[in-house]
Amino acid sequence: MLFAGSLFLASCSSDDNSPNVSLGQYDNGVFVVNEGNSTITTSSITFISNSGAVEQDVFRNVNPGAAELGTYLQPMFFDNTRAFIISGSANKITVVNRYTFEYIATISTNLQNPRFGAVANGKAYVTNAADWMTGTDDYLTVINLSDYSTSTKTLGVWSERIIEENNKLYITNGYAYGDATSVTVFNPATNNVEATIQLGFNPNSFEEEDGILYVLGSEKLAKINLATNMVVGTPITVAASTSAGAKNLNVEDNKIYYTVDTAVYAMALNATVAPSAPLLTYESQSEYGRMYGFAVNDGKIYIADGGDFSSDSKAYIYSTTGSLLSTITVGVGPNSFYFN
Amino acid sequence: MIFRKLYLFLFFCICQSALAQYDSIHNLKVVEISDLQLKDYSDSQSVLKLTDSIINKNQSSLTSLLNYNSVIYFKENGLGMVSSPSFRGTTAQQTAVVWNGININSQLNGQTDFNTITTRDFNSIAVRAGGGSSIYGSSAIGGSIHLNNTISFEEHFSNTLRLNYGSFNTYGGNYKIDASDGKFSVQVSLSRNSSDNDYDYVDADGKNLNGQYYNTSLNAAIGYKINDANFLKLYSQVFEGERHFSLIFPSEIRTKYQDLNTRNLLEWDSFFGQFVSKVKFAALSEKYKYFGNINSNAYTFGQVRTYIGKYDLAFDAGNAIKLNAVVDFTQNKGEGSDIKNEQRNIGSASLLFKHKLTQKILYELSVRKEFTNNYKSPFLFSLGTKWAASDFYTLKLNGSKNFRVPTFNDLYWQPGGNENLKPESSYQAEIGNEFRFAGFQLTLTGYYIDIKDMLRWIPNGSVWSPQNTDKVRTYGGEALLTWSKNFGNHHLLLNGTYAYTVSEDMEKKKQLIYVPYHKATSSLSYSWKKLAVDYQCLYNGEVFTRSDNNSRYNIDAYFVSNASVSYDFGKKNSRIVGFQVLNLLNENYASVESRFLPGRNFNMYLTLNF
Repeated sequence: MLFAGSLFLASCSSDDNSPNVSLGQYDNGVFVVNEGNSTITTSSITFISNSGAVEQDVFRNVNPGAAELGTYLQPMFFDNTRAFIISGSANKITVVNRYTFEYIATISTNLQNPRFGAVANGKAYVTNAADWMTGTDDYLTVINLSDYSTSTKTLGVWSERIIEENNKLYITNGYAYGDATSVTVFNPATNNVEATIQLGFNPNSFEEEDGILYVLGSEKLAKINLATNMVVGTPITVAASTSAGAKNLNVEDNKIYYTVDTAVYAMALNATVAPSAPLLTYESQSEYGRMYGFAVNDGKIYIADGGDFSSDSKAYIYSTTGSLLSTITVGVGPNSFYFN
Repeated sequence: MIFRKLYLFLFFCICQSALAQYDSIHNLKVVEISDLQLKDYSDSQSVLKLTDSIINKNQSSLTSLLNYNSVIYFKENGLGMVSSPSFRGTTAQQTAVVWNGININSQLNGQTDFNTITTRDFNSIAVRAGGGSSIYGSSAIGGSIHLNNTISFEEHFSNTLRLNYGSFNTYGGNYKIDASDGKFSVQVSLSRNSSDNDYDYVDADGKNLNGQYYNTSLNAAIGYKINDANFLKLYSQVFEGERHFSLIFPSEIRTKYQDLNTRNLLEWDSFFGQFVSKVKFAALSEKYKYFGNINSNAYTFGQVRTYIGKYDLAFDAGNAIKLNAVVDFTQNKGEGSDIKNEQRNIGSASLLFKHKLTQKILYELSVRKEFTNNYKSPFLFSLGTKWAASDFYTLKLNGSKNFRVPTFNDLYWQPGGNENLKPESSYQAEIGNEFRFAGFQLTLTGYYIDIKDMLRWIPNGSVWSPQNTDKVRTYGGEALLTWSKNFGNHHLLLNGTYAYTVSEDMEKKKQLIYVPYHKATSSLSYSWKKLAVDYQCLYNGEVFTRSDNNSRYNIDAYFVSNASVSYDFGKKNSRIVGFQVLNLLNENYASVESRFLPGRNFNMYLTLNF
């Protein structure tokens, strides 16, 4: 992980082959996206630097004159230099420099209830729910990242999360109200769906590691071999149907992490049985926002509690052995973490 | 049903043979208004009456009339958009709207959208503060708004046509005919309003997009005098409107909303001896259609048809005692794209009693109980006293228990509706002081309301469901001032209201969001012969938008004023031409965050009487 190189550069007089130069004020830290509610001022971005300093409302601080981000912020996505902030209800994406957070552009064409995005080959692909009542009109917005022009590609099935791996795009076909139970493989080079991998359950989160795509649903975890697009073995049961349901899959350091209600579970990549006891649980007063955001990175576990969605809430940082390292006040409805 | 038919028959027989103790003039007075309890059983509470001259000086929406002339706080999602009241710090579902004696709050969401009521259709509008469930049923916790039509059998004939045109392509028209030949009385009012509503924001780039609306309403009040002791009345209203919902961001999906509400009330009033007997049948319907994307014909909808049969018997024992018994039966049939199709039957019985102990002191008591399978109704009551100590001072005291029933959406929304809900209930007390001297009238009221089992939608697994979870306590004070003075041909009228409201969630001990600590209104009217000049203003204090009361996110306080000038060119009949400037000081304000309201804009009107 990079450290604040600028400080060291100043103090070391003849050290000019330091590889770790800070790329901007928002390098070496983690962004927290605060979803907010229908009130504009509640959607914001918080930055927690690796040194522990916390800055609230980063976008408005850096860009006081820029147009508002919108309401109901979705999780961000990145390419090498830019961060893309999606507003689900304003149907727009604000593009900023990921290290300085300076405003670059706004994309607001061809978006209707945008959900998640990923970048492949100089283009950004964003899933759109369109009409919430049906999955047949769900589509991808294809954004040209040099001029931010857009075009669309209908997927025809509920489409939610999207990640890029090896120049292919993988999309979960599952949504709280939808009945889709698959993962779509989309080839950006041909602009076509290449395969639909049936899972037998609604996927809510996924991550790729070493050619295997780990897909999590409320009760099951499946592994897909991306070379063959086939499910490997039988899915593991990770949570009971009577429980709050498993979500927030993260693969880090040869371990699979997921959460059920306020508990975090960890298991080895090649485990065939789910752990019976959680790694840690945290206290939450929230009715709707338990484990609303979750990430594992660099030996630390990050938990965002949704709170009451109408006032500032908290993020908790734990070590991977389960001890609480710090509690940080963030914004309204924090839903995701992103690391620079 | 049988009981009521028997009663009916019995009274019909009696009234045919009894001699009227009171003369026919008294009967005509009583017959004028359907909502007798507003006049007879509100002595211990504060009632603010807005006559049609005040109604005509204000904009046509009920939101605007009450925002500038009463203590009620409104939040509007943009001009003409969904408008919710907060009366004494309570929620929108805790203010009842009563149309000619019938509670018309939506059975779907428990509130009335104040932008769906056209004020010009009514002869008078009254604001009755404080509890009223023992008379009007559900929702009368913060207070109730009474929309009344007067049926007069005095021979008269008048036509009024009012046309207005203003900024943003705003058109309004109202035609009213009011006539009686002594036997029939007919009053019909037809209104139409529409606007492009595309005003520019005051301090920011951009304008109000997708805010256009129109509405049409027809309101009729027809009376037929069968004889000196028997009258038949029919009240009927239809309101139809479409609104496009304003956007905050230009890229949001454009949506629109349609309302169709009908209300019909057929009433037979008969007088015999010291009794006034009223048989009422009402049929109401409400329907909404919400188009989530105006480019598509797909919509979600909800509709409820309500049938009410009510029998109201009032007994006047000389000057000192008044008794009133009311029984009614209500059937609601609801259906919609998101609710289970269900029928709800509610029976209720109320007893009201007023006793004038002396010329100066009276007390009144009312009780009500509802009977239904859908919820357990508490025993509702109201007990109050009024002491007219002197010409200068009157004291009023009132304590009551009121409630708000779960709505169709609360009970039957799919998924998540909870059929095991209790009604919200409240205990409240108030003390009112009225002072009269010279041309002044000042009313100072202090109140305290304790609400429990407040309904709130919270997640239950993956689905949202309403629960009776909250406890809220509100208390505060209200001041109402009126002063009028005439100097020869000059007439001055000054009105003012002020409210101080503390409304707290008992768990968090924080002020509820969108409840201002302070609200004040004032209006000054001056007329000289044919000229009239009016000025009205409104001050709304800061409101919290965060449940933790983080003041960084408060909506700023605002002060808005309107001015108008009018001149009556007519000789025998009025021919009034008026010009209004709204938001005279071009204040940049919003009552809901980011939902800006227009800057300075203009309006002119023409009123013809013939």
